[in-house]
Amino acid sequence: MSDETTLSRRKFLEKITVGIGGVLTALFGIPAGIFVIQPALKKEQSSDWMRLGSASKVTPGIPTLFSLKVQRQTGWISDEEELMVYAYTEDGRDYAVMSNICTHLACRVRWIEERQEFFCPCHNGVYDKAGNVLAGPPPRPLDRYEVKIENDDLFMKVG
Amino acid sequence: MASRLSNWLDVRTGWRDVWNGIFLRKVPKVNWAYTLGSASLFVVVNQMVTGILLTFYYVPTPDHAYDSVQYITTEVAAGWLIRGLHHWGASAMVVLVFLHMLRVIYFGSYKFPREVTWFSGVLLFLTVIGFGFTGYLLPWDEKAYWATTVGTQIAGVPPLIGELALRILRGGQELTAMTLARFYGIHIWVLPALLLSLVGLHVYLVIKHGISTAPKRGEK
Repeated sequence: MSDETTLSRRKFLEKITVGIGGVLTALFGIPAGIFVIQPALKKEQSSDWMRLGSASKVTPGIPTLFSLKVQRQTGWISDEEELMVYAYTEDGRDYAVMSNICTHLACRVRWIEERQEFFCPCHNGVYDKAGNVLAGPPPRPLDRYEVKIENDDLFMKVG
Repeated sequence: MASRLSNWLDVRTGWRDVWNGIFLRKVPKVNWAYTLGSASLFVVVNQMVTGILLTFYYVPTPDHAYDSVQYITTEVAAGWLIRGLHHWGASAMVVLVFLHMLRVIYFGSYKFPREVTWFSGVLLFLTVIGFGFTGYLLPWDEKAYWATTVGTQIAGVPPLIGELALRILRGGQELTAMTLARFYGIHIWVLPALLLSLVGLHVYLVIKHGISTAPKRGEK
């Protein structure tokens, strides 16, 4: 009989100890998880129209490289980031602005004039002048930005 | 299922003897002052968890240290809490290990056969002071800068070796980026390695000898 009571007392204390341990683990674990994850889930700052330059600089049939500086806030650092895009037009009326980021694994592609192709050196991805995949592993064409033209100035939407 | 798994593990690791040795050992009838060591150990865990988390954002260079600390405190969710726990935990740590030391002196627990436990405790106390000294500089605000200027200047006072000690501490004549970087290295690598080794030895010895009984009046 007395044996039974000591056993249940021991079990009771064991459960209390495990319970307090669990509560403490949660009290540390939950804020820790939030602390690590929250800044990663922050939305990028609002989108904005950026001027690339004169639309007449884009020769029809040849992708033209533009670089533009974008102000970015990363953590506590506010810094200028350089964005490289290719503008392309077939007929001088409709313009496409393509990202130079390979759709495979985000290396930077470059236009190879002699071969009339975009080439990504990381895994030999090849795109045509309009950004369509010709060879290699890229799963989809080069990403395009929203574009507008005002008074012969080419604008793209960043963000 | 759970008991089959723990049996399987026990046959291969002998974890049950270790577990029982740590948690089911006999303890004499003592008082609350005997929990100060465990309380210190708990704060050590707190400092490790929150300290590791702070390194996710903190950058130990003069142009980023202050801003990254402000970012942690005001921008990151629960950042005020993690930093607060580390900040107040540091003070609690010094107070707790000091009270723990007083308890050991008052109850005569440092005597044979526990001298090595005492020695390792003394080294642990110095390690904690080292943590406090190096950690104080890291926020890189005015208080941190001038406190460390004064603190390291004191190292320059002794004749002959003073000048060299000051230069080694600061990584040069002045308190600069060199000082911040080496204090950070000491704070997050050197001292934690030292602390963990000493805590391991200290706790092993406590378990090996068992807790000392409180001395009774008139006992020889």
